[in-house]
Amino acid sequence: MKIIVPYAGIVLLVGPSNSGKSTLLKSMIEKKQILSSEVVSSDEFRVLVSDREFIDWRERPKDEADCLLDEYQTISKEAFSMMDSVIDARCRLNKLTFVDATHLHPDDRKRYIALARKNHVPIIAIVLDIPLDTLIERDGQRDHPRGKRRLKQQYQTFKREKRFIKKEGYTSTYLLDETKHIEFIRRTNPIEIDVKQGIDIIGDIHGCYDEMILILEKLGYEKNDEGLYIHPNGRKFISVGDVMSRGPQSLNTMLFFLRHVQKGLAYMIDSNHGWKIARWLEGRKVTLSHGDEKVAEDFQQYEEAFGSKRTEEIKHALKEFLLQAPSHYVFTKNGVRALVCAHAGIKDEFIGKQSRDISDFCRYGDTDGFDQQGKPIRKDWFIHHQTTTLIVWGHDPKPQPLLINNTINIDQGVVFGGKLTAFRFPEKEFVSVKALKDYAESADNPLKEWEKKRLAPPNIGRLMNGYSVLTEELGAVQIHQDIAKSAVDAVSHFTIPIEQLIYIPPTMSPTPNASSLDNYLEHPKEAIDYYRNQGIETMIAEKKHMGSRAILFLFKDKAAAKKHVGIDSLGVIYTRRGRRFFDAPTEEKLVLKIHKDLKDYGYFETYDTEYLLLDAEIMPWNLKAKELISNQYAHVAENAILDRTKLKEKIEAAFKENNLLKGWLEEYEHKLENAMTFKEVFQKYCWDIGEVDQIQIAPFHILAHSNEVFFDRPHTWHMKMNRELSKHSSLFVETEYKIIHNKESEEEAIKWWEEMTSEGHEGIVIKPESFISRNKGKLVQPAIKVRGRKYLNIIYGMDYLRPENLARLKNRNTGKKQKLALKEFALGVEGIKRFVNGESIERVHECVLATLAMEADPVDPRL
Amino acid sequence: MMQLTMKATGDNVKVLSHLLAKNPANLYERNHKGHSVRLFYSKFSETEVEVTIFVSPDPIELLKHTSNAYDITHYINDREFAVSSIFCSFIRSALGTALNGQPKEEFSAWVDHPFSFQFDFGPVASALSNQQIINLFEPLGYKVEISRGETGYSFDMKPKSTARYLSLNGVCTLQNGLRQLFVLIPVLDNYKHYYIDEKEIEKLERYGQGWLEDHPQKDFIWRQSLRFKEIYSMVENSKITQDRSDSQEEGSKEPAVKKVRLNELRYEKIIETVSKIEPRESVVDFGSGEGKLSVRLGFVNGIKEILAVEPSESANIRALELFDKAESKAGYVKPTPLWGSLFYYDERLKGKDIMILCEVIEHIDEFRLPKVMDTILNEYQPNVLIITTPNKEYNNVYDMEEHFRHSDHRFEWTREEFHHWCLNRSAQYPYELIFDGIGEEHKQYGCPTQMCMFVRKEV
Repeated sequence: MKIIVPYAGIVLLVGPSNSGKSTLLKSMIEKKQILSSEVVSSDEFRVLVSDREFIDWRERPKDEADCLLDEYQTISKEAFSMMDSVIDARCRLNKLTFVDATHLHPDDRKRYIALARKNHVPIIAIVLDIPLDTLIERDGQRDHPRGKRRLKQQYQTFKREKRFIKKEGYTSTYLLDETKHIEFIRRTNPIEIDVKQGIDIIGDIHGCYDEMILILEKLGYEKNDEGLYIHPNGRKFISVGDVMSRGPQSLNTMLFFLRHVQKGLAYMIDSNHGWKIARWLEGRKVTLSHGDEKVAEDFQQYEEAFGSKRTEEIKHALKEFLLQAPSHYVFTKNGVRALVCAHAGIKDEFIGKQSRDISDFCRYGDTDGFDQQGKPIRKDWFIHHQTTTLIVWGHDPKPQPLLINNTINIDQGVVFGGKLTAFRFPEKEFVSVKALKDYAESADNPLKEWEKKRLAPPNIGRLMNGYSVLTEELGAVQIHQDIAKSAVDAVSHFTIPIEQLIYIPPTMSPTPNASSLDNYLEHPKEAIDYYRNQGIETMIAEKKHMGSRAILFLFKDKAAAKKHVGIDSLGVIYTRRGRRFFDAPTEEKLVLKIHKDLKDYGYFETYDTEYLLLDAEIMPWNLKAKELISNQYAHVAENAILDRTKLKEKIEAAFKENNLLKGWLEEYEHKLENAMTFKEVFQKYCWDIGEVDQIQIAPFHILAHSNEVFFDRPHTWHMKMNRELSKHSSLFVETEYKIIHNKESEEEAIKWWEEMTSEGHEGIVIKPESFISRNKGKLVQPAIKVRGRKYLNIIYGMDYLRPENLARLKNRNTGKKQKLALKEFALGVEGIKRFVNGESIERVHECVLATLAMEADPVDPRL
Repeated sequence: MMQLTMKATGDNVKVLSHLLAKNPANLYERNHKGHSVRLFYSKFSETEVEVTIFVSPDPIELLKHTSNAYDITHYINDREFAVSSIFCSFIRSALGTALNGQPKEEFSAWVDHPFSFQFDFGPVASALSNQQIINLFEPLGYKVEISRGETGYSFDMKPKSTARYLSLNGVCTLQNGLRQLFVLIPVLDNYKHYYIDEKEIEKLERYGQGWLEDHPQKDFIWRQSLRFKEIYSMVENSKITQDRSDSQEEGSKEPAVKKVRLNELRYEKIIETVSKIEPRESVVDFGSGEGKLSVRLGFVNGIKEILAVEPSESANIRALELFDKAESKAGYVKPTPLWGSLFYYDERLKGKDIMILCEVIEHIDEFRLPKVMDTILNEYQPNVLIITTPNKEYNNVYDMEEHFRHSDHRFEWTREEFHHWCLNRSAQYPYELIFDGIGEEHKQYGCPTQMCMFVRKEV
C-alpha cells in the first residue's frame, strides 16, 4: 500500500500497543524514506523525562499499585507535554512529524488536529487495525510486556473509535491491517518553486489583456506558433492574482493564464476576485459586483459565440484552475527562500504553508472592519513583516510601486487608468506599461482617491506617542515621544508647510578621532583612515563652504508645484531646521531669478522633471547669522582684543623694571594674536549684501527630480551637475573637489586642505565615492567634515590651540554624533524616496519630523 | 582676563601695598578653581603706586556647571573677558585684606585714609548706556571716562563696539573704592546667569554699607543686583511662573491695562456666545495655551466635555494646574488637555458641537490657514466654529508705534479682510457666517477684536 505523506505537518499513527507503529516507522527510517528526527514517540519522551519507558504495577499490593499508577500518569503527562511542544515547534517550522503513540482516545487525536490547524499544516492519520490475538502474541516478545488485560482494554477502545476517525478532519486517513508492504511517498512543498532562469511578477491585470501582452513583450516574451508567450531565456511569469474583473477582457485573460499555467510556463495565485469567480463558477450563491459582473458578461458573449457546450467546458476548467490556485508562492534561489508572492499580503508565519485561514488572509489582507461605504478598512499588514524575505503583492492600487519594509506593492491600477507593473526577479527591476484608458470608470477611482488624500494632514495619533520609521537604509529608526512632540511644536509654529518640507539634511560628524598631530584638532588623515578602515578606497574631498545650510525646492511652474505639494509657488528655500531661509520678498526674488535661469537653460525639459530638490550652502554667513555674529563673535572679539591689548600694554610698561613679567608678557602677546586671528576668521565668511546677486548658493547634492532620486549616483556626478548649474545661473557657485584614491592623491588633498584652511576657509568634507556606502552590510558615515585650524577658533574658542587646552579638547567623543548622522541620513533618503514615489505626505513627514526631533536631541554643538 | 588697575597718587601711597597685603617686589599668582588670579605692581614710588589684578581663566573650566551646554553660544561668549560677578568672586580672596579693611595692626589707621585714586577696569559688557554708567559712579564722587573697543569690520555689522573700558577718578579709601566696584561691576554686566554664586547677594548688602543708602540710583542698583535672585527662584519654585501667566503675555505691544480688559471681554463674549449655542455638550478650545478660556468654559451650563488642544507641552502643564485648581468649585467640568496641532489630523476632534479658535489664526502664516480650515470644516465638522482675531483698524485707536499688536502675529486684518477670508474659507462647505465684534466699539474703526461664527447648516 502506498501512503502519500504531506511535505510538512503531522502524521498521526493510531493503534493499540503492539500494533506495529514503532516497527513501521523504524523500517521506514532504515529504508531512508523518513528521517529519525521526524519521528517522536511517547515512549521515548517518557525515557527522556524520567529514564523509564514503562512501569509495571501488575501483581503489586493495591497501595503500591496505586502509587505506581500515579507515578506513571505524572510521567506521561510530562512526557506528552514535552512531546507536544516539540511537535508544535516542528509545525511552526513547517516540518513533518510522525507521532508514535496509541492515540486511542478522541481527545488525544483532537489535540493534534488543533495543533495542525493552529500551525496551518496538514494532518493525516495512519490507523493500524491488527487483530487482538496478534497483539497479545507480540506482547510476550517485548521487554516490558503491557499485559493481556491492558491490551484487551486498548483493543476495545480502538474498535469503538475506529469508525469515527475518518470523520475527525484529517487531510487523509489510511487504514492498515498489516505493516509489511507499506510504501511512503514523500511530496515536496507544492508552493515552493526554484527561481531558475528568473521570474517576472505581474501586478493585478483585471482583464486588461492588451496591456498584459504589451508588458510580456516588453519583458522579452515571444509568441510562438501555438500562441504561447515564451521567454527565450526560460524565464517564467507569475500573476499576483486578480487577472479578471473590472476590465475589458477578463475571460481572455483567465484563459490565457490557464493555458500558460497548464503548459508550465506561468503561475497564478489566488486572489479576492479569483475566489469570487471560482465560487460563482461552482454554482454558489454569490453577488457579482465590483466589476465581477463583467466576467459574467464575458461568459455570456462567449456562449453566444461558441455555444453552451464549449462554455461549460471552459467554465469547468476555469473553476478548477481558480480553486486550485495557491494562496501564495515561495520562490527559492539556491535552495534559499528569496521571494514570496501573495495577492493582498501575508503573515510571516504563513509563508510556505497552506490553509483556509491563510488563503483568506492572502486574498483580502489584514482588515479591520468596514467603513461607511461598506468597504473593508485595510490594515497595514506589512509593518509586521520581520524577515528578510521579499514579499511582492498587489490588491491595493497605488500610483507607484510601494516599497515598505521589504515588501513591494506592484498593483498600479492599470484598470483604473494607471499602470501595469512587472517586477523582474532576481534582477529587482520594475517594468511598466501605461493603461490605454481608464477601463473601470469607477466613481471612486482608488488612484484618484490616493492622489486626493496624498497631501492630507498627517495623523497625529500615529506620531504623538513616539513612533518608528522603517527606512530602507537602516531599518527601523525609533523616535521617542518627547522629542516627537517638541518637533511637532516646531512644525506648528515655525517651519514651512508640511507639504513643502520634504527633507531635512542630516547632521555631519567631524573626524571620529582627533588628529594625531600636535598642533591640530582635526586633520584629513583621520577621515581618510576612517573610510579606508571601512573598506572604501575611493573618496571625494569637497570644499566646505561657510555659510548656512539650505534646501532649495524649485518647480518647473506653479502648476507643477500645485500638483506635487499643493501650494501655488515656484519654490521654497529653507534652513536645516525647516524654516524659511529668507523673508518672503527676498525669497520670491531669488526663486524667480533661479527659475528664470533654469528655464533659460532648459533644465526642466532637459531632465524631464517637474521639480528640482537641491542640498546647498548659502553664503555669506551674515545673511542668516548676522545677529549671532554681531552678538557673539564680534562682541567676543572686541572684548578679547580690548582686554588683551590693555593688559599687554600694562605688563609691557611694567616689564621694563620687572623682568619677572617676561612669562606673562609672552603669554599675553600670544593671546592677543589669538584674539586677532579670531576676529579675522569670522569676517572671512561675511560680506555686504546689497542686492540678491551678492548671494552665493553652492549646491552639492542634486537630491531629486520628479521622476527619480540620485542616491545611486557617485558624488562626482553630483559635482558635475552642480558645475552645470553654476554655469547657468550667476547665483550658483561651483564647489571645488578632489578625488582621493591613492597615497599621492591623498597627499594632494591634504596639501589643498592645508592651503585653503590657512587662509581661513572652513575646511573640507570627505565622502565615499558613492552616495550610499556600506561596509559588510553596515552603513558607513556618508560624510566626514574636516575643519581647518583657523576656523576652529570660532568653534572651540580663540585659545583652543594652546597645548593645555588642545590636549583636553582632543578627548572629545563623536559617537553620538555619528549615530545621529547615520539615522538622519537614512531618514533623509527615505523621505525623499517616498515623496518622489508619490507616497502620502504623512509617510514623508514621518521621516522629516524624525530628523527634526533628533536635532532636538542634545549633542555637543561644537562637533 | 578681566582686569582692574588701581593707581594712587600723592603722599604715603606706598602704604597701599600693606593695605592690599601684597609685596610689590613679587608677582602674585594663585590658582582659584583652575583659574589664575594674578597681580603685579607697575609703579611703586613715594607718590605713585599702580597695581593691576587680573584673572586668566581656564576657558574649558569656565564652561562647566552650566545648563545650556548644547547651545553654541555657550562656547563662544564674553564670560572669559568681561568684568562681572564671576570676576569679583575670583579676585575676592586676593583682595580680602583690603575689602575687609584688616591689614596688619600697625597699618590699620590707613584703612580709613582717603587717597586720590584712578580705577581702570574692563572690558565691560553692558546693556547700559554711557550716561547710565556715569549716573552710577558720579554720585560717588568719581569722574568717569569711557572708551570703546575697536570695530573696523570688513562688512557692515555694528556701528560701535559693545566692549567698553572704564576709568574712574576720585578720592576715596581703598576699602570703599573696592567695595563700590564689587557692588557696581555686577550691576553693569549683562549677566547671563552662566554661573551663579548665591553668596554674592548677601555680600552686596555688606559692601553697600555707608554709600548705597544715599545713592540716587539705589533702587536701580538693587533691582539689577537681584536679577540673579529672580532667575534663581524661577528655577526653584513655580510661584513666579504663576504670577507671570497672570500678567500680560510676552511680546505684547498693546497698552497693558487695555489688554487685560480686552482679554476679559473676549472671554466673556465667547462664554456668552457659547452659552446660547444648542447643543453645546462638547467643546474644543484649539490653541488653548495656558487654559484660561478652557477653565472658564468649564463653568458653562450644559457643557459636558472640553478638549483644550495645544502643541506646547509646557503650556499644557500650566493649563493642567489651572484646571486642577478649579476642581473643588461647584458645577465645574474639568477640561481635558490634549496635546495636538492644527496642522495634523486628529480623529479625537471629529464631530464636536463647538470648536473655538480664540486669537489663534493670526499666529499662523496666512498661506498655511486654508488647509487648516479645510481640515476643520471638512474633517472635524463642528456644528459651530468660533474664530476671533484682532481688528487691525482699531490699532489706530491704540496709537501704536509697532506694526502688529504682538511680535508673533503673522498678520492682522481689517474687518473687510476678515469677512472676505471667512467667506472664502466657508465657500465649499455648508456653513453660515455670523460676524460680531468684541470690546468697546469705535465709530470709525469698529471693535478691537473681531469674531466670526461658522454655523453648520442642516444637510
